[in-house]
Amino acid sequence: MSTLRLVKIARDFSDGRQMRRVLFPTDLEFAAGGLTVLSGPSGSGKTTLLSIMGLVLRPSEGRLFLDALDVTGLADEEAASVRLRRYGFVFQQPMLIEGLSVMENIVLAYGVQGGRVRHDIRLKAEGLLRTLGLDGTAHMQPRLLSGGMKQRASIARALIKDPSILLCDEPTSALDAESGQAVMGILKRIALEEGRVVVVVSHDARVFPYADRLLKIENGAIVSETRESYTEGKKSK
Amino acid sequence: MRSLTAFRMVLHDRSSTAGALLGVVAIVFLVGQQLSVLFGLLNYMSVLVDHSGADAWIMSANLRNADAGNLVSARYMDRVMGLHEVEWVEPVLIGNGLFRTRDGSFESVRVVGTRRPRAAGGPWQFAQADEQVLLDLEAVTVDRLDLAKLGHPVLDQVTEIGGRRVRVGAVTEAVRAFQGTLVFASLDKVKEIARTPPGRYSAILVRFRADADHPTALARLRVLLPECSVFSSQELSRLTRYYYVVNTGIGGSFGFSTVIAVLIGVVIISLTMYTSVLSRSRDFAVMRAIGGRRRDIAVVVISEALIIAGVGLFVGFLLLTTLLNATGGSSIPSYFPAQIAPILAGGTLLVSLLGSLIALRVALRAEPASVFH
Repeated sequence: MSTLRLVKIARDFSDGRQMRRVLFPTDLEFAAGGLTVLSGPSGSGKTTLLSIMGLVLRPSEGRLFLDALDVTGLADEEAASVRLRRYGFVFQQPMLIEGLSVMENIVLAYGVQGGRVRHDIRLKAEGLLRTLGLDGTAHMQPRLLSGGMKQRASIARALIKDPSILLCDEPTSALDAESGQAVMGILKRIALEEGRVVVVVSHDARVFPYADRLLKIENGAIVSETRESYTEGKKSK
Repeated sequence: MRSLTAFRMVLHDRSSTAGALLGVVAIVFLVGQQLSVLFGLLNYMSVLVDHSGADAWIMSANLRNADAGNLVSARYMDRVMGLHEVEWVEPVLIGNGLFRTRDGSFESVRVVGTRRPRAAGGPWQFAQADEQVLLDLEAVTVDRLDLAKLGHPVLDQVTEIGGRRVRVGAVTEAVRAFQGTLVFASLDKVKEIARTPPGRYSAILVRFRADADHPTALARLRVLLPECSVFSSQELSRLTRYYYVVNTGIGGSFGFSTVIAVLIGVVIISLTMYTSVLSRSRDFAVMRAIGGRRRDIAVVVISEALIIAGVGLFVGFLLLTTLLNATGGSSIPSYFPAQIAPILAGGTLLVSLLGSLIALRVALRAEPASVFH
């Protein structure tokens, strides 16, 4: 069971003239087995926080621990390898690579550092596609899929290496309500049944009912944290 | 998988791929064509030396090229024959004359006289008849590629060169020289045409015995004839080619046009690959986010360049071969030595990689964090 721990993580950006703090020192811990929703208005710092958690952006201050390992100052190449082994990402847009088939997009993580994609990996990808309701799309080009299907394919890509941490940036914002609910249902199930750390960044209130933990961020600081469980849209303590 | 990704990207980005391919094909075809003309001209420059069948050439002192020698005395032939390394010695006399065409006009020709019956230094390939015709005192050869220029002479046609009666006895096949239209005749006929003093020749050709050590034999010849220039055929060929390349501006001209062709190709490759990679920045950022290292991105971009270069080389060489076949029997000088092909291929590959450097720089700048915006 993985944990992701942030200790006094902060981030500054320069606008060319002066440094501006977009994320104030933040302490957070994410444990496996639940879905965390990080919510806040645009520009509140939630994507910055997610980027730091995903090792694609370095914090200006503080430490980031993956289990007991301090991953704050990892070199670029080391961070890439940790991302490859431990992380899965679902982006706001599906960001499937045009030209590669759906299958090739999904198994890309296995080959991106030059490894050979074995047959059993392809079978596993086919299994994921089935689970996500994308049976028969393996050899299709991404442009032939609907928005919801593409996003589910991107979830399959994120899950192919069994990541212990799944970070999702507005995964439903480009989807209609029905597709959005399907995607959130999948993410919720992954968090609970597969025991992964799942963090979803969203300002869409429709995803809140799926959260086991709801963090609200405003002006670069966590302003509230709610640990609740929701069942079929009804809140229960 | 990285190469597969590159291959898929190349296939998917058809317009960019076509543009970059055009660049590679342009380099192979244009540079290859330039080189084939250059080598064709180089062959013309030293054609008499290269096809003489001799191992050594004896010419006048202080020689700068095979066409600019003074006459040498025939008495050297006897001295040379005295060397035990020598198998035969033959004189060659080269002069200029005006060929009278059917309509009465004149065309300048270079007449090459060889001694019968060996006719060393004489013509080597024929379209009609053969070298036996030179046994006839009046017979001359004309080349198929010069027929139009010479008024379409036919076999056995009698005409004049330098006011002397000659008969067209044979038509040679692509026997041409850089210095002018070649007409072969007997030694005596050329003496008449060129009005050279008796007992003097343009060059003395020497063939060594099969068991002779050539460097030693050449050294002995030089000692024997200190008042002459003694070259091996290869040395004289090189000297002549070098002279013309340097002194006629051909080297600079071909070098310049080759550089331009390469530059055009590099610019086309650079721009199209840059555009392609720029439009793929998001994909490279995704690859970086899911665990790709900078070197993995570099492998993908370089693989793309290599795939395009490989296909471009194939298409370029196909077009070049077609061109060479089409111009092979024509008056356009073209010769493409087989050993130049791998050099051209390697150079094009290198240039294609150079062309992809800007694209590579763009691809490596793709930040994984950008996928979260």
